[in-house]
Amino acid sequence: MLKFKGLLHSLTITFVLLFSTNSSAMEKEYMLKAGFLYNFARFGQWPVQLNENEYFTICSPDKSFIYAANVALKNRKIKHSPLQSLHVVLNEVSLEPCNILFITSDTITDWQKSQLTSYHNIMIVGESAEFIKSGGHIRFFLSSGKIRFEIDPLKLKDAGITMSSKVLRLARVVNR
Amino acid sequence: MKTSQHFLWPLLFISPFIAAAPFEDEDLDLDTLMGMDVQVTSAMKRTQSAFDTASSIYVLGKEQITSSGATSVPEALKMVPGLIVRQLDNNQWAISSRGVASRFSSKLLVMIDGQSLYTPKFAAVYWETLNVPLYDIERIEVIRGQGGLLWGSNANNGVINIITKNSIDTRGGYANATTGNQINTDANLRYGGDISNKGSYRVYGHIKNSNASKKGISLTPNDTTKQHSFGLRADFTPSDEWSALFQGDVTHSKLGQNYRGVVDETNTNISFSDDLKRTDSRMMTRIENRISTNANQMLQVSWLKQNGDQTYIKENFESLDIDYQMNFIYQSLQLDWGLNYRYNAISFAESVFLDSDKDLDNLRQYGGLVQAQYNFVPNTLDFIIGTKLDHNDLTGWENQPSARLVYKPIENHLTWGAISRSVRTPTLIEFNDNFKVNGTKIIDIIGVKTDIPVIDDYRIATFLNGNDKVKSENYISYELGYRFTNNDWALDFSAYHTNATDVAAIKLNTQFEQFLPAVAFFQAGQFEQAAQSLTTTEINFDLVSVGETTTKGFDIVLSWQPIDSLSTELGYSYTNIDYNLPEGTAPSIGFDSSNRQLFAKANYTLFTDHTIFTALRVENSDAYEADNYTALDLTWNWQINHTWAAALSGKNLFAGSHIEYNNTRETYTIPNYIDECITFTITIKF
Repeated sequence: MLKFKGLLHSLTITFVLLFSTNSSAMEKEYMLKAGFLYNFARFGQWPVQLNENEYFTICSPDKSFIYAANVALKNRKIKHSPLQSLHVVLNEVSLEPCNILFITSDTITDWQKSQLTSYHNIMIVGESAEFIKSGGHIRFFLSSGKIRFEIDPLKLKDAGITMSSKVLRLARVVNR
Repeated sequence: MKTSQHFLWPLLFISPFIAAAPFEDEDLDLDTLMGMDVQVTSAMKRTQSAFDTASSIYVLGKEQITSSGATSVPEALKMVPGLIVRQLDNNQWAISSRGVASRFSSKLLVMIDGQSLYTPKFAAVYWETLNVPLYDIERIEVIRGQGGLLWGSNANNGVINIITKNSIDTRGGYANATTGNQINTDANLRYGGDISNKGSYRVYGHIKNSNASKKGISLTPNDTTKQHSFGLRADFTPSDEWSALFQGDVTHSKLGQNYRGVVDETNTNISFSDDLKRTDSRMMTRIENRISTNANQMLQVSWLKQNGDQTYIKENFESLDIDYQMNFIYQSLQLDWGLNYRYNAISFAESVFLDSDKDLDNLRQYGGLVQAQYNFVPNTLDFIIGTKLDHNDLTGWENQPSARLVYKPIENHLTWGAISRSVRTPTLIEFNDNFKVNGTKIIDIIGVKTDIPVIDDYRIATFLNGNDKVKSENYISYELGYRFTNNDWALDFSAYHTNATDVAAIKLNTQFEQFLPAVAFFQAGQFEQAAQSLTTTEINFDLVSVGETTTKGFDIVLSWQPIDSLSTELGYSYTNIDYNLPEGTAPSIGFDSSNRQLFAKANYTLFTDHTIFTALRVENSDAYEADNYTALDLTWNWQINHTWAAALSGKNLFAGSHIEYNNTRETYTIPNYIDECITFTITIKF
């Protein structure tokens, strides 16, 4: 019995070790994704030009992402406009200032429930498996532990945004 | 001034990721972001920055490989400070670090994406038939010394891991064609694309046709190359948790070669010009699984087949590797462990100068590794302890432990230290084979001439005998390193002291009684009969594990980027090898020697679309029976537009026609003089 308990204990420990989420690991992934969003902001064309006093705003309903983005992109500018990362709830009023909206895998269910699948002038980026089908424009995925992304340029165009060929070249383009 | 990490070459190519700190400008470059691993740890890969690695590491990035104008992997390796890269002729290379480079035994582990290319027959890597398209290499990581022990066996002097690009990053078309005074044609074509929205692929082909050298040592050079290759890679990403890759390559080569061997009853080396035909095939598949954000596992299965065919040697070598690795982080502890199995099938057709005692035609190797890294003081002090435990058919179980310490007292300064033990298992040549070598004259045995031509001119059959008493060579290495980075410059220094025991040496075994009949005939004045009697005698050089060596030295690399458009690198490496051998024995590879290398490299962006790349190497060594030489490589790159690019390269400039490697007693191939080489390349992307 003691042996069995010992085995159970060691199995539990292994399980805990393997599946525990280390905050710095998660933070690293979100910081890198924030870096990609910064590039999408740099190489995207929005229909309305911001003036120098207006913020370029990256929004997400996920607080942990906004925390990572605030660290990674501190004091950055997009075409002379200061960049800010904003935690939002998924309703039209809250999304009003957003230029990019990032839906994490933890907030995808809220996004699907909100039915805000298309919103003019906002680039909608996600990381969940069927995100493009759910109305997203860009989806991050991992290949051998590195971040890559797919883009639906038509949906992006419908939202009034065009993406530079520099970014499109690196992307997997869907619905060509 | 802000330094671009693309050009601070050796230290920062894999950017150090500091959690909870804002990104620097260069971190936000799309290319850099795409090169970063999301995991803090990763199976089979080094996710640390080169700066934080507790070993003497140099990362050769894709930008350098492209701008250098190199047309082969060995040529690209010439750009790594501290690496000894010497050409025997236009095809063959001797490459090593912290030791003596040799065509057939460089104690260096070479891998392509973690697949070992080590041939246990000779401990050799056939550099001349190694085909990896340079334009699809992500980076080449070079670890000098024993820092790469966990990666595999026989990595005493270092590890070279060639990491190719994920096929998702090589979609589209690419072609290039090179011609010049040595190379008639070197052409590459690649095409890549998506596999639905779950994967990507690339296929590529390569042909090469090049000329012989201009000047040989004893024979007219014959080192022409005719080579063609075909390969592919496919990557699959069914989900964020799972990814898989498959790759394969087949290369057919016909390489002219001058060599010598004992093929008749004269027992004398005879020189030949011949063609070596080789087919080298490899396949590898890897499945990676992200168990959680802190844990990964990986299974890799690799297969390698090499056939070589020339007049006197026909060899077949095949290997199957299965590797499993897993790693995870829990609080301050990072744990890596893995299991490996390797099966080698080796066959050599009967050869007039090479035969096997025990007819060993296969070798198995299996074992495991474990490494724990504990972070004692966050971002300041790390302790790493690990071992690799392997069983092989020749010497049984071998244990290779190491302990490393990383100390970062203040930002931008890092000190590391390491103590490690490694072994080199005997090759089949050392363990199993008898190699007929140039016969021994009577004067070489008794020290005087008999003045009887029929006796003085006769060469007694002489063999280099491997035997099963040969042990694994045992290396204990002490290393110390220091790194510093500033805005526009970086310094990397490492020093080492390695003691080796049970090093293979050669012992003369004359068995004097076999000469008594010849002596009796000689004393009776029957010289013809004495000479006849000598034909039944033989002299053996037995391989014995009695040698000791002390190897010590240092590597220093300074990188400086004074202005955005100019990046420079200056390196100096020193290696001293000292043999301690019992009387009556001689070293089998190398001898007491010192190696000094001075290295300077610069990349200058002249206008937006024009860059000049230059590398100067001053090679000063008494280990290769060759004069010291200084060689300059210079390449002008012109990016004509998004699609077209052109490059003009001059290699080995100012060195004149020179010998780089002349240790002919260690190899049966005969080197040639190495010449200046001019190439013109045109590249198209579509």
